Amino acid sequence: MELSTEKIGDVTVVSVLTEVLDASNTEEFKTGFASILNESNKLVFEMSHVKLIDSSGCGTLLYCQKQLNKLNGALKLCGVQETVRTLFELIRIDRVIDIFDSKEEALKAF
Amino acid sequence: MKKAKPLVLIVDDNSVNIDLLVNTLKKDYRLGIAKNGTTALEYTDKHLPDLILLDIMMPGMNGYEVCTRLKAVTRTRDIPVIFITAMSEAGHKTRGFEVGALDYITKPFHAAEVKARVKTHLALKEAHDYDIYIASKIQKTLLLGSPPRDIPGIQISQLTIASQKVDGDFYDFFKHSNLCFDIVVGDVMGKGVPAALLGAAMKSHFLRVLNEQLRLSGKKELPEPAKIISSVHSGMIDQLEDLETFVTLCYARFDMSKYIFSFVDCGHMRTIHFHDDLNTCSLLRGVNMPLGFPEKEPFRQISVQFKPGDLFVFYSDGLTESKKVNGSLYGEKRLVDFIQANARVEPENLIKSIWNDVTAFSHSETFDDDVTCVLIKIDKEPLSTVFPDEGRLEIMSDLKELGRVRSFIREFCAKIDDSVLDDKRLNLIELAATEVMANIIKHAYNKRSGEPIQINARMSADEVVFEFFDWGQGFDPESVPEPVFDGSHDEGFGLHIITHFVDEVIYSHGDGGRNCACLKIKLTGGN
Repeated sequence: MELSTEKIGDVTVVSVLTEVLDASNTEEFKTGFASILNESNKLVFEMSHVKLIDSSGCGTLLYCQKQLNKLNGALKLCGVQETVRTLFELIRIDRVIDIFDSKEEALKAF
Repeated sequence: MKKAKPLVLIVDDNSVNIDLLVNTLKKDYRLGIAKNGTTALEYTDKHLPDLILLDIMMPGMNGYEVCTRLKAVTRTRDIPVIFITAMSEAGHKTRGFEVGALDYITKPFHAAEVKARVKTHLALKEAHDYDIYIASKIQKTLLLGSPPRDIPGIQISQLTIASQKVDGDFYDFFKHSNLCFDIVVGDVMGKGVPAALLGAAMKSHFLRVLNEQLRLSGKKELPEPAKIISSVHSGMIDQLEDLETFVTLCYARFDMSKYIFSFVDCGHMRTIHFHDDLNTCSLLRGVNMPLGFPEKEPFRQISVQFKPGDLFVFYSDGLTESKKVNGSLYGEKRLVDFIQANARVEPENLIKSIWNDVTAFSHSETFDDDVTCVLIKIDKEPLSTVFPDEGRLEIMSDLKELGRVRSFIREFCAKIDDSVLDDKRLNLIELAATEVMANIIKHAYNKRSGEPIQINARMSADEVVFEFFDWGQGFDPESVPEPVFDGSHDEGFGLHIITHFVDEVIYSHGDGGRNCACLKIKLTGGN
């Protein structure tokens, strides 16, 4: 899975370039995340390509946030599609991870 | 509207009078001449003049009789008639007006007076024609809805013949889903532009009420026909009272998932329901007063069951009240008998033959009232065979197969109309299936790959069912702890997601160690 990164100040914006984040590719995602984690502890996941995410994908996002918190960093999300957002609301991810409409708003929040 | 000069017919047996009138009018009008009543009627029938100057005293058929006959025929009744006569007594004039004349000119006449009266009445006629033209435009564009063409399991055909007087017949269809639609047929009392406009207002009011009530219920629940009528009534009663008119109508819903026809009838013509299995017709009439009457009682809704092959016939009084020259009416009985005898004819052809029967009866193709008729034929094949669907997917336990399972589900559901199962809900069903699959692989097969998983899918008119079979370790949903939402746990959400995004989940264990997770998705009554 491709994760493209862009450094803006001390924040790294990670574009999640997959339509699906489910049990079939969360391990791959975690590997990609680990290499980014070496460079930055303030991340924005740009999610607009992701049409479907399952509980495993959600678990992975929570895992990422926990890792960043340990490094005194933070995770923010932006560009979340409607179906994905519905799931986030169901399992309250939206209360645990900050979600913004746009990348700019997410960047401002650090 | 007319480019040619108006055509004026002069009827007089006296050549001197004819010459005088011709000289007076020839510059401004095309003229026709008839020297007796019979010729006048023949000429009128053939050329439809815009105005007739009619002498009263003629040998043979006199002017009164000519006028009476003209007024008895739909196509000639609106031609303005001005009597020309030497008789000036009030009694004669009164009789002339009684038989339908618009005006009188007494001999000896002045050219200027004849010109002025002819001009005035032609202008009035033109204004009247324009009124009718506008009204029929309104009717064609605003009053008559087009039937939904894409509802499986039914055929609709309709007939509309605008009369020369446009009387505000209207109908419309509201499709809610592939399995449910409403039809409203109505008739505004009155004629011309006011009736046409009121009909259009009624129609848009129905749309508004439907939208409002759907929005109020969060798009989850369709308002019942009785509730729709009640809202339309309370929204329109003041206008109807102000205009001193009323509207008869029938609002009906076809629920193809349950084969139930629910209707609210407000003084409209009785809907004909042909029962294919019994080969009989029943006439459906409600108990409500027309809209515009101060209704105290709540509107009563009646439901009847229908079956494959049944036929419903909605129509306006213009159809059953079309007349023979002798005044006798086509009538409900003749229509019912005709339907009974021909109900199995394809709707497109049946509606043509109804029209042929009516015109053969009345010997005319023009009518005093608008004629509308809508046929709704329920296909002989029950809907379950229209959606004949079952599907099966066999795969091995591998997380890489999750995408294939989602494609299977999406393709299986593709034939369901978007209004019943929209893209977002389908996404969430795919998500639920992903969770079921992941649970089977992770827990039932303990992450072993190469184990069999089978998915059976089936669809009926009101639900879609997916069954996931595995032969691994059985699963008891009661044993799953409540999910923790504080961000501390990154697992344990699967079952919570499944139960939220489908309507029903049933876990069971069958023979031979087969486990089943059954997901049901309802296609009626919202999410």
